[in-house]
Amino acid sequence: MSVPGWVLHAPFLTGVSVGVPWFAAVLITGCRRHARIIGCVAAFVSIVGSLVLLADAPNSESLYQALMLLFSCLTFSATLLLPRRDCTAGTIGGILFLLGSTLLAYSTGNLLVLLAAWILSIVPFLWAGWFRARSWRPLASLLLSTVALALAIGLILISTSIISINHLKGQSPGGVPAFALLVMAVIFRKGICPAHAWVADIAETGPALPTALLLNGHFGALLVAKLIVPLFPRTDSVFPVLSYLAIVTAVYVAVRALGENSPRRLVAFLALSQSACILSGLESRTAEGIAGAIVHWFVVAISTVALFGILRLLEVRFGENLTASKHLGLAGHAPRLAVSFVIFGLALVGLPGTLGFCSQDLLIHGALTSHRLIGLLLPIATAMNAVSFFRLFTRLFLGKRRTGFTVMADALPRERWILAAGVLFVVFGGLFPNAIVIQRSAEADIVQEAIHTAADTNPGKVDAHPRKVPITAMP
Amino acid sequence: MNFSQAILVFVVAAPGVVFAVFALLWLLGWTPGERFLSWITGLTFAASAFGITALVWTMASGSTVTVAFGNWFAVGDYHFPLVLMADRLSLPFLALTVVLSGLVAQFSATYLHREPGFLRFFLLLHLFAFGSLLAFAAGSFDLLAAGWELVGITSVLLVGFFQLRPAPVENGLRVFGIYRACDIGLFVGVFAMHHWAGTASFDRGFPTLTGAQALIVCLLLLLPAAGKAAQIPFSGWLPRAMEGPTPSSAIFYGAISIHAGAYLLLRAQPLLARSAVASALVMLIGLATAIHGTIVGRASADAKTSLAYATLTQVGIVFIEIGFGWKWLAVAHILGNATVRTMQFLRAPSMLHDYHQMHSAIGGEVSPTGKQIEELLPARIQLWLYRWAFDRGHLDTILDRWVIDPLLQASNYLAKHDRVGMSWIAIRPSNAAPISIQGPAKQGND
Repeated sequence: MSVPGWVLHAPFLTGVSVGVPWFAAVLITGCRRHARIIGCVAAFVSIVGSLVLLADAPNSESLYQALMLLFSCLTFSATLLLPRRDCTAGTIGGILFLLGSTLLAYSTGNLLVLLAAWILSIVPFLWAGWFRARSWRPLASLLLSTVALALAIGLILISTSIISINHLKGQSPGGVPAFALLVMAVIFRKGICPAHAWVADIAETGPALPTALLLNGHFGALLVAKLIVPLFPRTDSVFPVLSYLAIVTAVYVAVRALGENSPRRLVAFLALSQSACILSGLESRTAEGIAGAIVHWFVVAISTVALFGILRLLEVRFGENLTASKHLGLAGHAPRLAVSFVIFGLALVGLPGTLGFCSQDLLIHGALTSHRLIGLLLPIATAMNAVSFFRLFTRLFLGKRRTGFTVMADALPRERWILAAGVLFVVFGGLFPNAIVIQRSAEADIVQEAIHTAADTNPGKVDAHPRKVPITAMP
Repeated sequence: MNFSQAILVFVVAAPGVVFAVFALLWLLGWTPGERFLSWITGLTFAASAFGITALVWTMASGSTVTVAFGNWFAVGDYHFPLVLMADRLSLPFLALTVVLSGLVAQFSATYLHREPGFLRFFLLLHLFAFGSLLAFAAGSFDLLAAGWELVGITSVLLVGFFQLRPAPVENGLRVFGIYRACDIGLFVGVFAMHHWAGTASFDRGFPTLTGAQALIVCLLLLLPAAGKAAQIPFSGWLPRAMEGPTPSSAIFYGAISIHAGAYLLLRAQPLLARSAVASALVMLIGLATAIHGTIVGRASADAKTSLAYATLTQVGIVFIEIGFGWKWLAVAHILGNATVRTMQFLRAPSMLHDYHQMHSAIGGEVSPTGKQIEELLPARIQLWLYRWAFDRGHLDTILDRWVIDPLLQASNYLAKHDRVGMSWIAIRPSNAAPISIQGPAKQGND
């Protein structure tokens, strides 16, 4: 039986990957039954769609398809990891809505669609029916980033009347104001200093796994990779500011994490510090830095979702008030959760034998090549993060075994298989990294070549008066 | 791949494969029995020992065995070469690791019988052996760094082996912090070699660097070497590491891990030889550590700490030998010291029993050894020296006061800064949540 040609067409597959989760979100909100099953099926459809898209894409242009696959897998895993207590129609619906919005942002080549996806991705965190943040800073940061992006896209449209990202490449559309607004959008959405505090707030007060998914959409890095680097390649004198801010954030947050006792905040700080490294790698303008940043994106996303998931499982089993201020000895009750926690955590901070080691190695080389002195701060931040993570691990899992539980469950089978799959990915990725790095390397080479070509044409300047080109239709 | 190359790959990979298989099976729910695990472990190290013997035989003519797997990963001009190499320098260390790991494993099968962490110990022992063999057989500093990190993390996890007591766990954290801080030098040093020489491989000759570049690289490599070898000013972690089980103390701090720093410097000998300043610094650190080790060791009250400081003193002397460029003397010294210390550590738990046996054999008390050299000093200086030695040279106090406390103060200041931002709009600081566990909010699996 042959498959009709239109089924394998990219727009159809993208539509299915984005549309099915949205449809499932509406369905769950309506029927409110079998939420986990519907969520898993919808996420699985997105996985299949993204997988076919990735298989069809050329090696050097497969970044966004790979990210779609990654996020679909993360959502599938999060849906399975959710404790029964959290597995409500609202939670699953919100997660699926976030999945659809994020995949739309990854897949689009249109400025207006990107803006719409950006807005839709924060809707679950604004609406009280889903995961509305309980403190002001997350709301303010998410809204400010959206306003900044909307203004930047408005400026670009006014100056060029083009909505296709491909046609704007290398033109510096909107000049310095548009560039500055895009950088502001990145700073607020990514949690770059001084707008870093909202990440820990939402991690502490919000639902663990949906928050992890929001943070690991990495919309800030997406904006850098999708708009800032290709559209504004002639920004040698301005762009490093974002990199410096990212490196300062990595160190600042790493220092902040050293004394933090709330496990959720601590993991949020670690994730923020490590994901700030992604920005500095993307900005390094070296092939190894860019490739390292993209691989690190994968590592941070998988590790962070797993760490938040394990923390939530511990909260559900052992009480909500987990703390890193004293030893809780939970490894005695949950040894497999402990081992999974330590593997994901050490992958996040670059232990050899995990994919994190390769990405950190590439990132550090890229950052040091491009910024000899300030790049030294990256390994220092990573070392501090490692110490903070290990402190959290020892305090949560080691120490005198607590008693008084009637049921002391380790990882349940569905949790165990999902965590084992994640562990296998980071470990096999670490043992055979070339399979992953070589694809990201091809993309990094193209980005680096584009940057250098544009920089050679007109080094050190952002176009104040960009060229106008004819309007192109939406793809 | 010829016979020698296959053996080298087998020797390095065998403990790693055993670790990976057992860890994965355990993660999926299967726990092997003690007897089966120790049998597989014995078989692995025995086969590796035979492999090493064959390797020595094939390398008798002075040849070097190199196995190049290409690049582990490569991006643009940067590549991470995956090259294993057995030469006259690495072979003794490979043999030492295989033999002592096998012996310690056999000892531990009895020593840790019915211990709750039996499987964990053996898994970590395999991972440690894999990391050490990888570091010693590496044909580039990149790969050496990967093995180096594995040795570090297993070392830390074994320090905290007795996880029910807070002290070993906290000491493990301290050791981890010092390792990570010092390893920054290794990563930056490797980067510097890539940057200046285009490679950090030494399987086809050493990277070519100018005098100033060699000095910088040596100083960077000296940091992790001193950290791993517990040299001044990082010696404070060594007595803390004695909280681990005796077999791990024997293999880590009596034999392999403690000498890994010296191996790194021996590997970097061609660079050290080009820089008199770096060589002098290595000797100075070694001398200071040797003096520190012998004085503090005399004031140590327990057997394992005394042995640790005795090892430290010898490693300090090894550093001096490396500084002088006496490479093969240093290697011989390391082999002798590692073997003797392993035996002493393993006998430490039954030291009293040994003494009683010795006394009954000779028919009375052993005669005193005579005067101690410190008795030649004035009484006041003796007292001061005793207090200095009792506090282990104040090294931990200095580290706490000048590094850890300022970092924690900075962290608290930043936390306060964050909270002030919240209090402006009258929202309860999220950090103010209760910090103790009152018990599970709800019983049940989910």
